[in-house]
Amino acid sequence: MLTGENIVQLVSGLLHWAYAQAGISSWAGIIDPIIAAVVMFGFISVFVMFLVWMERKVSAHMQSRIGPNRVGPFGLLQTVADAIKLTTKEDVKPVNRDKIPYFLAPIVAFVATFMGMVVIPFDKGMVVQDLNVGILYIIAITGFTVIAILAAGWSSNNKYALLGGFRSAAQIISYEVPLVLSVVPIIMITGTLSLSGIVEYQKTAGYWFIFPQIFAFLIFITSATAEANRAPFDIPEAESELIGGFHTEYSGVKFAMFFLGEYIAVVVSSAVAVTLFLGGWLPVAFLGFLHLPGFVWFLAKLLLIIYLIMAFRWTFPRLRVDQLMDFGWKVLIPISILNILITAIVWLCLYGKGAQ
Amino acid sequence: MGMLKYFKDIFGGLWNLSVGLSITTKYFFKGTTTQQYPEERLPLPARSRSMIKLIYDDEKDQFNCVACLMCAKACPNSCIKLEGVRQADGKRRMTTFKLDFSTCIFCGYCVEACGFDALTFVSEEYENSVYKRGSLLQDEFAMKWIRPHVEGAEQPVAEAPAPAAAGAQS
Repeated sequence: MLTGENIVQLVSGLLHWAYAQAGISSWAGIIDPIIAAVVMFGFISVFVMFLVWMERKVSAHMQSRIGPNRVGPFGLLQTVADAIKLTTKEDVKPVNRDKIPYFLAPIVAFVATFMGMVVIPFDKGMVVQDLNVGILYIIAITGFTVIAILAAGWSSNNKYALLGGFRSAAQIISYEVPLVLSVVPIIMITGTLSLSGIVEYQKTAGYWFIFPQIFAFLIFITSATAEANRAPFDIPEAESELIGGFHTEYSGVKFAMFFLGEYIAVVVSSAVAVTLFLGGWLPVAFLGFLHLPGFVWFLAKLLLIIYLIMAFRWTFPRLRVDQLMDFGWKVLIPISILNILITAIVWLCLYGKGAQ
Repeated sequence: MGMLKYFKDIFGGLWNLSVGLSITTKYFFKGTTTQQYPEERLPLPARSRSMIKLIYDDEKDQFNCVACLMCAKACPNSCIKLEGVRQADGKRRMTTFKLDFSTCIFCGYCVEACGFDALTFVSEEYENSVYKRGSLLQDEFAMKWIRPHVEGAEQPVAEAPAPAAAGAQS
């Protein structure tokens, strides 16, 4: 059976044979990560284009419309056309901008979320770098987006952009706390921070963590939606209040970077949700006879979670700023702390002091 | 009590959100209602009115119009220009008929004023866009509307059935 591990071995074998032929085997430690990054960038770009198409289709069908259907089969090339249009567009810059942050913000917004893809295990062994502090790394690195958004809002020299940036900073900092707290029970149970290790634990335990940890899952999805600045938590870029929020003054490629960053944030948080709560690359129990490779299962679950987040966007109305803060601090954080407490007590009762 | 309300609110809110999600998911699988216009057309109601047409009598091989100029007088925008000539049998016949659809407001006064059943509305011809304004100035041959019948459009009925209730009361 074709597995992700086999593919990785095949590709790396081919690469090292090519290095040996070219006589640069000693450079493999430098070239390998670059190739991995390029492959991951290609994958994520195509995947994000697909997601934009999917979002438009999902929203259209929820409103009894058809959605894009002109460019290519089923309108699949619509986002390619949009990308070409965005990259060839004039880059309009405000005159009184703060030049360096204005230039750096979209890059940071894109890179910070893109870096999260490094530790996502698509299959057993199919991961760019299986860090043993994977979750910590993802939470830390995606936290950089708040700096990018704040920098974009400040450097645009525009009141709407500034307000959007501040709102975003308040929102992301508030929802970072329940996000981390909802992950804590999983780490307590498994005793590892590595994403592959968590999936392995679910394999040996025989169940996915969504079943004992349904509240953690709901809190995680909610906070992840808020972290990615998506509706119903999209007050940093609420059109009716702030025009475009922090990316009001951005156009062309820079706007595309923010856009890409937002979608990659959705992909990364959905991938983490799949890994933590839905068993990552493990097959669905009653569909095990299909014998599909692990990464197919992973992508199927990933699309399911992404569909859920898209359904949130097209179902729920936007929260007000005070409601957003209320919800974050008065509901999500107490519930997640309670969840940690109950999980700890139950696990202690079930397995005693010597758990793990 | 406050604690109970807190949890009740949370679970009630969760339930409300799931109801909303189920509705959107139901509509997601329900299918679309979009008519893709140039390829698909909505069936028009039988009595819909759009363009104006000169009636051509195929048996006599001539227009019904006798050039009495009543339509030109009834037209509020003076967009009808027509000329007629007295034939050898003493009857007047229309020779040229020009209707400028760029100023026509489709009020239908010309159709009402016509006493010879020479003008009528076309129900299935409603695509009036042209590339040049001059194309809207149409003569009698253009106004015969000899065009392929649009698929899916209902045939206009001669007379709509009168409401029974109105007849009983009067």
